[in-house]
Amino acid sequence: MKQELDDLIDFKTGRQKRLIYSDAHIYKLEMEKIFGRSWLFLAHDCQLEKPGDFVRTFMGEDEVLVVRQTDNSVKAFLNTCTHRGNRLCKADHGNSKTFVCNYHGWSFGFDGELTSVPLEDAAYKNNLDKSKFGMVEVEQIANYKGLIFATFDKEAPSLEDSLGEMKWYMDIWLDAMPEGTELVGTAMKVELPVNWKLAIENVSGDGYHLGWAHAGAMTVTAESGLAGLSVGNSEVDNAAAVSVAGMNGNTVLAALDGKSGYAFYNEYQKIWDYLDENRETAVERLGPFRGEKMWGSQINMTIFPNLQFLPGLNWFRVYHPKGPGKFEMWTWAMVDKRMTDEMKEIILNNVSRTFGPAGMFDNDDGDNLAAATQQSSGWRSSQMDLYANMALGVEHSREEMPGVVSEGLVCEQNQRYVYRRWLEMMKADSWADIPFYNSLEEARATEGKS
Amino acid sequence: MSLQAATNDVYLDIQKRLYQEARLLSAEQYDDWVLMLSDKLYYRMDMPQKRLREDKVSDRAPAKTPIFNDNLDSLKIRIGRFKTGFVWSENPMNSSRHIVSNVEVFNTSKTGQFKVYSIVELHRSRLDSERKRFTVGREDIWNKSAEGYQLLERIMTLDDSVVLDSNMNFFL
Repeated sequence: MKQELDDLIDFKTGRQKRLIYSDAHIYKLEMEKIFGRSWLFLAHDCQLEKPGDFVRTFMGEDEVLVVRQTDNSVKAFLNTCTHRGNRLCKADHGNSKTFVCNYHGWSFGFDGELTSVPLEDAAYKNNLDKSKFGMVEVEQIANYKGLIFATFDKEAPSLEDSLGEMKWYMDIWLDAMPEGTELVGTAMKVELPVNWKLAIENVSGDGYHLGWAHAGAMTVTAESGLAGLSVGNSEVDNAAAVSVAGMNGNTVLAALDGKSGYAFYNEYQKIWDYLDENRETAVERLGPFRGEKMWGSQINMTIFPNLQFLPGLNWFRVYHPKGPGKFEMWTWAMVDKRMTDEMKEIILNNVSRTFGPAGMFDNDDGDNLAAATQQSSGWRSSQMDLYANMALGVEHSREEMPGVVSEGLVCEQNQRYVYRRWLEMMKADSWADIPFYNSLEEARATEGKS
Repeated sequence: MSLQAATNDVYLDIQKRLYQEARLLSAEQYDDWVLMLSDKLYYRMDMPQKRLREDKVSDRAPAKTPIFNDNLDSLKIRIGRFKTGFVWSENPMNSSRHIVSNVEVFNTSKTGQFKVYSIVELHRSRLDSERKRFTVGREDIWNKSAEGYQLLERIMTLDDSVVLDSNMNFFL
């Protein structure tokens, strides 16, 4: 099996076998080996303000309820009755003191305990030990600067170790301002007939498609003076941007100009004023390099396997796989808490207008990725290969930043590292077999070691 | 406040306008459609959410999240994107039919302004066997002007809490 898996991915040449986008067995193994044991994003702290606040979400294809507790901690439970398996809660989010099963009326407190069972005395003859039938809790849960993650694997290393040096980049958004971040509005949900990995690789490293796939949106935003930074503007050229990978599968695509993140905003001057007013705070908290060159820049961040967020463009997105050829994509607008309500409104509208369900940019991607999924499903096409082999052999280290670095946004280094992580996790029997690396040196030393 | 039905003449005129609009939208004749829109247009659709009935939306409930939140200028930018010829997913053209029904027209406190309820069902025939269907409730304000009835406001309610198409390259 491990040999077969090795044939699917070649890190050195950037090759992937198309089978990985369509095969049901491979997908099932992904649910076990990747989604079954990775730290997966559940919710932002701001979604769970008061005890009893909950959101319903997914870990792989498992449905979970994430609930704020009386002691302010957060618990995550499988959203299923422990009696006969019915779903406990159908709402997207809300506040509830109890979760009552619609089938037989078993009632669970929001701490997960089974509190009442109809006909307990008469039918169960007082033989039901209710303490053994509470809602099933997810094994580990942790919070990194407002983002709540969980894993089904009790052996998984800590969230912080898993994120590794990626934290250095995440802090550019999560920790630039002392109050941190919050989501505005609710999730914009879209179902797409796409294999989840194709969406991840697209945002993780594919700056190549921007000018072509999004030519319509790029042209019209530039023509209408919306952009602030027009297409091809030297301020977002390859010399002023980096692709960063080799951080346990997590990746970054970043401009280094400190303001291009707001390129597609029609009221970008207000945001630029905000950046000017708060630049000093950012530099104080993040140091001069991140504070001046990265805070405010267009940055794509990917937390392996299924979370992506783009400070600047201000969208925050999680992908929930629904089979080899389908996923749900949930997109929020995320902002600095200290921004004014007016700015938050501007950002929410811009996220919706660019990357929402009718977003002028997002609406260019769906069909391309759906077709790539379908074109990996034929008897012949599934045996074909795909290549992410741009800019092979140019990766290096840079003193100012952690991880493995290649210059430019148009470079396929990050995709190669995403698939490398995919293979490492798919092959490993346990977390002990999954290598950790956060620099070029470590990435080279661990290559092929899973 | 109970709503007062508009006269049958107004009802028929507005219904004709809605049918004309539906035909233009299905044919992607957006330049002609824009002529039906007021300079002060407000065009909005929010992302639906599934909430428990007893869970009343309170002050601290998350703000509404727009799918469309447009004025005439931003709508023209959306239209401009289609006109670039670079929106590859619309080539070949996707066949679509806007079916309008359940039209109700009421007077408002302003002379020449009418509140119009309708339902629009959009059928999209996409590549090969792909079929997509959107149902949307609409609450409009139409304004009688020298150029005929013009759309001043449209609040749309989408029926899906998960959007089931890979793009929304259309208007409703």
